Amino acid sequence: MRRMLKSPWPEAIIMILVTLLTYVSLATIGVVVKAPEGGMATGTVVGWIFGFFLLSLIIAFLAVLGGIGGGVMFTPVMLAFTPVDSLIIRGTGLIVAMFSGLISTGPFMRSGLSNLRVSVFLACSFAIGAFTGAQGAILVAGHMGDTGEGLVRLSLGIILFCLALYFIFGGKKIEWPQVQKSDKLTELLQLRQPFYEPSLARTVDYGLRRAAWGFLAIAGVGLLSGFFGLGAGWAIVPAQNLVMGIPLKVAAANSGVLLGMGDCIAVWPYIMIGAIIPIFAAPWLVGQVIGGLLGAVLLIRVKAGFVRYLLIGFMLFSCWGLVTRGFSKLELIQPVPHWLTGIVFLVIFTWVIHRVLKMVREKE
Amino acid sequence: MNEDRPIMPKAQIYYGECVYYLTIVACLVCIVGPLIAMIDPENNVMNPYFTFAAIFQGHSADEVWTLVAGGFPGGHFWYGNFFTGDGFTQFGLALGCSSAAYALIVAAVVYALERIYLYTFFSLFVAAMIFFAASGVVSF
Repeated sequence: MRRMLKSPWPEAIIMILVTLLTYVSLATIGVVVKAPEGGMATGTVVGWIFGFFLLSLIIAFLAVLGGIGGGVMFTPVMLAFTPVDSLIIRGTGLIVAMFSGLISTGPFMRSGLSNLRVSVFLACSFAIGAFTGAQGAILVAGHMGDTGEGLVRLSLGIILFCLALYFIFGGKKIEWPQVQKSDKLTELLQLRQPFYEPSLARTVDYGLRRAAWGFLAIAGVGLLSGFFGLGAGWAIVPAQNLVMGIPLKVAAANSGVLLGMGDCIAVWPYIMIGAIIPIFAAPWLVGQVIGGLLGAVLLIRVKAGFVRYLLIGFMLFSCWGLVTRGFSKLELIQPVPHWLTGIVFLVIFTWVIHRVLKMVREKE
Repeated sequence: MNEDRPIMPKAQIYYGECVYYLTIVACLVCIVGPLIAMIDPENNVMNPYFTFAAIFQGHSADEVWTLVAGGFPGGHFWYGNFFTGDGFTQFGLALGCSSAAYALIVAAVVYALERIYLYTFFSLFVAAMIFFAASGVVSF
């Protein structure tokens, strides 16, 4: 009982109760009130609001566990299966990406799994990249064709594929990178911060390296995040892990904090042109916050290996989407049918589940 | 066991708590906002029945606002429409989307008090970028 009085339970219970009351009231409105002539049926409007919330809840849970922004799942799904305008989807995609990050910030900061110094340092470059990317997206949507977008997606897909391969064959040294020697700038920035790792039952004091290269890499990631409205956890995590030598689990937690911080900048150009429509975006936001809160509590207890395979799965699936859409935009292939994307998704995540089960059996 | 655990820096704890509770307030506002819009759809910036119809017909953002509200009233339209469903929800969105800026100011103050000026500067820089983006000064 005493445990229920400690964060996050009181706020989680309040949010769940308010959500229940709101959706019961909305359901009542859906039954009682008639829609005005020419408008959508009341039940359909309420159904969309509730459906968005539910879907967002599921995405948030998976996103925090994978250490990526939910936008990377939301944006491709919405672009593939709905007729909604791409700028509205990309703007709402940033809301999805940033709020799962924002709500997980508190637990990650308390536990020390995330490092504020690394996050703020990298946010300086992410901020510039994300703002420029978001303005670029608005500019492209208004003035340019599909060719530029196609080329960017294609090259991004290839980079992501290479990173996924490196994660698969890189082995354990990526989960806990061994940094033998640091450089002067990284030492000067004093980025090191030990944290208690419950799965190892000891304090981990990790070394860091190549802060300048990490800074540059994150600027590029911010540019892509702002431009595509995807969130960019899938690229922030490897950029920190491979370039700066940050342990995978810390990189995943930092990625949530960084997305929450950086996408606060990327999202505003979309808000200022009306691409974020309040009643459309709100249920997605609510699902991310409630799902993100529960996901963050879970992630602190999940071992790094599981997160690694989940990330590889998401990276490979994102890669598939980027490459096929890139070729499609360049008119080199026809748009890929949804059933084929579904099969690819199934194949990739069957492999992920197989790897996780194998890992669990080996540990037992 | 607890004695072995490292103590987290104050700026980190304050930043985390500020962002966390501001996000929860923003979320609560965004839970209630659509309900207000559905209870009184006429007293709203955009009638939700027509908004969803326009969105799912594939109209661009600009077209949706023009069709349903007669034009986009600006990103901070919640100032003058706080007690409408849309205005209240937009307030929640604006609060959530600038929560990191307020938290970074708190973190910057803590860093400054601890004489860690480099991170005071980094925190203020990112906060300034958020306010700059929210001002809408630069737009193409």
